[in-house]
Amino acid sequence: MSSAPLPEKKGRRRLRAGGPRYPGWLALPAVVWYGVFFLVPIGIMAVYSFQLTVGYGDIAYAWTTENFTYLWDPLYGRIFWRTFQLAAIATLGTLLVGFPLAYYIARYARRKTLLLLLVIVPFWTSFLIRTYSWLVILDPDFFLWRALGLGDFEILYTTKAIYIGVVYNYLPLMVLPLYAALERMDWSLVEAAQDLGDSSFRAFRRVTLPLSLPGVLAGSLLVFIPVTGEYLVPAILGGDKTAYAGNLIAQQFLEARDWPFGAAIAMVVVGGLTIALLVYAKVLGKQEQYGG
Amino acid sequence: MSDHEQLLASIGERRIDRKGFIAGGAALLAAAGLGRVPDAFGAASRGEAGELFYYNWADYVNPKTYPAFTKATGTTVKKEFFISNEALQAKLKAGARGYDLAAPTGYMVAILAADDLLTPINWSKLPNVRRNIDPKFRKLPFDPQDRYSVPKDWGTTGFVYRTDKIKERPKSWEQFFALFEKYPKKFTLLDGSPEVIGSIAVMMGYSYNTDDAGQLNKVKDFLLPLKPNVQSLDSVTYKQKIAGGKAFGGLGWNGDGSYIVTKTKGKAEYVVAAEGGEFWVDSYVIPVGARNPDAAHAWINFVYQPKINALETSYTYYGSPVKRERLRGALASNILGNTDVFPAPAVVKKLEPNNISPKGTRLRERIWTEFKSA
Repeated sequence: MSSAPLPEKKGRRRLRAGGPRYPGWLALPAVVWYGVFFLVPIGIMAVYSFQLTVGYGDIAYAWTTENFTYLWDPLYGRIFWRTFQLAAIATLGTLLVGFPLAYYIARYARRKTLLLLLVIVPFWTSFLIRTYSWLVILDPDFFLWRALGLGDFEILYTTKAIYIGVVYNYLPLMVLPLYAALERMDWSLVEAAQDLGDSSFRAFRRVTLPLSLPGVLAGSLLVFIPVTGEYLVPAILGGDKTAYAGNLIAQQFLEARDWPFGAAIAMVVVGGLTIALLVYAKVLGKQEQYGG
Repeated sequence: MSDHEQLLASIGERRIDRKGFIAGGAALLAAAGLGRVPDAFGAASRGEAGELFYYNWADYVNPKTYPAFTKATGTTVKKEFFISNEALQAKLKAGARGYDLAAPTGYMVAILAADDLLTPINWSKLPNVRRNIDPKFRKLPFDPQDRYSVPKDWGTTGFVYRTDKIKERPKSWEQFFALFEKYPKKFTLLDGSPEVIGSIAVMMGYSYNTDDAGQLNKVKDFLLPLKPNVQSLDSVTYKQKIAGGKAFGGLGWNGDGSYIVTKTKGKAEYVVAAEGGEFWVDSYVIPVGARNPDAAHAWINFVYQPKINALETSYTYYGSPVKRERLRGALASNILGNTDVFPAPAVVKKLEPNNISPKGTRLRERIWTEFKSA
């Protein structure tokens, strides 16, 4: 962020601060929805995480922290760390690929609607099918690689394939908020900076980047959080050999039939994400000064 | 673990009153966590009379059998698939209802029955079964009164490899697992701890079902170093990978092995390992909450006609529990005489059915996590 304060759009600020007030009951559908489909399941999960499994998947109401002590183990620490890495790589990867794209669409493209539509089009097909299709593309025998004489690489069933898969699958979630932020931007500010002697790179760094930051943060959130629970891409493109938190939870519920332990792992993920969100809120709060 | 054992002793292994909690709350929990459960609810509520909701392993019914059944009975078939017995159990336990028919493996029949998740079979509605089933498939250990299940298929867990891709001719687990180092990332394993850990245990001279911590530790010491050389863990599409040459072989089931042999025109071989392995029987069951148990009985009775049963076997390549003399003439002789599909009694004798204890399950899942985390 630059040291020079950016001009504030007075009008819009005022509107936001003292704008029309809507009755609180308008929030009711959302509150009920989140209460029933978010808080209640999380509550059940929290209760489960303090129980034990006996027999073939029966629950004993033991009220113990044993699941969490069992989790306190370098084995699971490694899996959480690997999950964090995957989410970070996905966020950075989608940002690196998505920012230039969003920038181009927002600033230069003539047919913005068409390009945005193309960004969204993959959502029309099932996530599962799109992921399976990468099995074909990442295969060294794919006709295109053959034609280009590039038949000698090993990506499928490695972590590289997983990274490619998540960056691909989550890209729209990064591009759309970035585009929203950049589209609102007043490009005359960039021109002004350049007129006053900034190189185009400096103008980008000091004007465009700070103003797009809310979009960067929103996109990062939309990518980072779901990737911490990602389990299809590692299962399909990674050959299901590598454990991430999502796969570990699925394993507890579907294979081990140890729901309390699975719930405990899920609670740890939820806890970690809550901390990350608090940090995010703080950063975003600071960002508000620069306005969008 | 000592706390677990204490609990086991004090509460008794099963029969904890948790039904209300499981059926209500847990369904929500599962819906939030797993995403797939609501499908079952939604689908089930659409179920009408005249429809059979069949929950099954993928690729486990001849596609021609469905229209034949609909033509004969007027009942349409709605399909959904599970990837493991444990996944089926998790779903039923979470409260998914509306399935009329499923086909889990024997050990899971016993677990589901003990958990009141199955509806008894009405044998008076199954004249074809009573007439055609080989008596040795009656009253199997996992359902000693034939109360909840009717055998569907039986088979073995062994390994398959492409004879045109490698020059070795492995006959034992030891020789099979040695191939992983020689051909890195060219062999697959089933994506399940029972089969992988059980097969290595058998190789080491232990029971397929061992729950001895010391023995399982030795299995782990063998399993973990395999990791970098495994291509993928796959129970569903490995047969396509091997038949297509993307993999040279893998740990798998005999029906898939025979599929690969057929697809490659004989350039593959399925092997029941010399040390032994798993023998299994998958059985038809009617889950609790079935909307159309009559259609389920009708299906079971329908496929027990020798002609239809032959259609099934010639597609799945799994052994049929129908008497051999009834299959003769209906089933092509090269399948009836195929020892991969119908292993000889002497081969079956050295195999064990899955019977892993809860303690063994927990130890194995831990090893499995270590394997996936290595």
